Amino acid sequence: MSRILIGQRIRERRRALGMAQRELAERLSISTAYLSLIENDKRLIAGALLKQAAEALDVDLEFLSASRDARLADELAELTSALDLVDLAGEASTDLASRHPQWARTLIRLNRDRQEARDAALALSDRLNRDPALVTLSHRTLTEITAIRSAAEILAQYPGLEPAERQRFVDIIAKASDRLTASARAMLDMLEGPDATTPAATPAREVEDFIIDHGNFFATIEEAAPRIVDTLPGHGLGLSAVLAARLEDRHGVTVGRGEAGASCGDAIVLPAGAPEATIRFTLARELAARELADAIEQIAATASFSSDQARVRARDALARYSAGTVLMPYERFLEAAESGRYDLAHLQARFNASFEQVAHRLVTLRRPGAAGVPFAFVRADPAGNISKRFSLPGLRMPQFGGACPLWALYGAFATDRLVAQRAAMPDGRHLLFMARQVRKGTSSSARPEARYAIMLACEAHHGGRIVHADALGPGHAAPVGWECRACTRAGCDQRAFPALGLDRPGRATAPSAPPYRRGALDVAAQM
Amino acid sequence: MTSRILIAEDEPFILESLTFLLGREGYKLVAVQKGGEVNAAIERERPDLVILDAMLPGKDGFAILGDLRAAAFGKTVPVLVLTAKGQDADRKRMIALGANAFVTKPFANRDLLAQIARLIGAGAKGSREADHGT
Repeated sequence: MSRILIGQRIRERRRALGMAQRELAERLSISTAYLSLIENDKRLIAGALLKQAAEALDVDLEFLSASRDARLADELAELTSALDLVDLAGEASTDLASRHPQWARTLIRLNRDRQEARDAALALSDRLNRDPALVTLSHRTLTEITAIRSAAEILAQYPGLEPAERQRFVDIIAKASDRLTASARAMLDMLEGPDATTPAATPAREVEDFIIDHGNFFATIEEAAPRIVDTLPGHGLGLSAVLAARLEDRHGVTVGRGEAGASCGDAIVLPAGAPEATIRFTLARELAARELADAIEQIAATASFSSDQARVRARDALARYSAGTVLMPYERFLEAAESGRYDLAHLQARFNASFEQVAHRLVTLRRPGAAGVPFAFVRADPAGNISKRFSLPGLRMPQFGGACPLWALYGAFATDRLVAQRAAMPDGRHLLFMARQVRKGTSSSARPEARYAIMLACEAHHGGRIVHADALGPGHAAPVGWECRACTRAGCDQRAFPALGLDRPGRATAPSAPPYRRGALDVAAQM
Repeated sequence: MTSRILIAEDEPFILESLTFLLGREGYKLVAVQKGGEVNAAIERERPDLVILDAMLPGKDGFAILGDLRAAAFGKTVPVLVLTAKGQDADRKRMIALGANAFVTKPFANRDLLAQIARLIGAGAKGSREADHGT
């Protein structure tokens, strides 16, 4: 990864404060010469000294630290790759992230908006072209407009009309207007119906960023969770009954079972046939939303969301996070994870939790000084749509749809067992992937269950701490990539799209080659 | 001689406006509202111009035009297509089938009348030349 210019940032901040180099050096108890080396990025600064520097310069540690820049640089790299801006990749991206993080964030946001707008336009265009009902409605709408316009023009252009004729055309305008209104309403109903393409998922992305900005860890909630955990009368198999009783006793909330599966006000309706893990989680979330509301509000208040929708989503995400802290308390969960070498099935059994709940909780084990293996997380459906992701610096999960089809994430759909993979990335790094298929809802012919694959990813050097990596030494690495367009690997049989930047005019394949012929394009392009 | 126009249009409000407009311009009119009856009416009435709505019930404009141009009586009569679709692909297909002009809904009455006058003028000129040649 490219170097982040912390020293440069220290110097800029110091100068902005009008502080002499000597003054800062004194406050940090180091020599001016050493500070000079740091400011010129010739010496690394980290740990206590970095913290001291942040205090002396009156900035947040994050302002100086590399992690935010690294993530920004990664996202910029993704952007430059998606937009084929090869000249702006590498140092230029790192530099922008380091010097102008606000601009970097704005660019990333703009690119996301662009991508979402394009996806929405494509989906709508597809829908308009294929949906005969919409075509008929469009035609009807234009027909009514034609009738109105034609009659209105006649009224305007033929002033000598007989009163009866005039009335006839006025009637046409009135009736056609009524029909036009009906057509327009029908069209709107159709576009807003449950099958319609939903507007861009910007609030979802916003909340995702908010969580990632907090490093997937919320100390305030972790510290508040014992208020619930320590006052529950006995954990274990009866936990859902205990949670339900507490909701009822302390909050007047009734818990029942039914078809709807939706909670409403002071009644929680659990879907009939829901697994115990789901019931526990639902109840824990409802309880946490009530009893840890102050902690949740405190965190939500620090973020500036662009819409109420995003705010509501963020509170919901924090309530879910809180549910995780109640069901899988930090210290106990971390201890179980480390001592059990991150055996996911073991953690599921130990905490009576679903695979997704355990995977989610593992991602949040980021408490400074007591952190677990740093995992990234991604969830996809069988069509490859990514519906949830948590990235880490240097381990970015794709945000724009399909990842590399060779990832264990997709292989997991072929089995109900855990799929572990040692992935050799095109840049030479090795990663560990652990993926499993999960099913949601109860299956019936009328409403099939939803299927997702969930994958945890970490750097391969953590493999010694993870039981699933035991059989995955360096010799067992599978060559994979990120997503096709950003992947330069040659000779891949699974390539779906040509790599951007390698298929420009003058560098393309032989005329006879199909546009995405496997591997051929890469080979030709790199020759 | 008064020019005769056959209007194939199923929408009664539009038909009423067209009837008024073209009547005021001195054309003689025949209206057909069902797609399946259009070509028989053309064969019977032998109009100087056909105004054809592209989306008629029963048989659409593409099928009507294709059949018309394949029939001996329908090879030369000018056809003006009224279409609610502005797409190039549809226009190209209509042109390939033998349409002479398009007016896209919603149209301005004046534009429609200008197109009609142009097509009937050209048609009349064409028949005069043909007459002259025999």
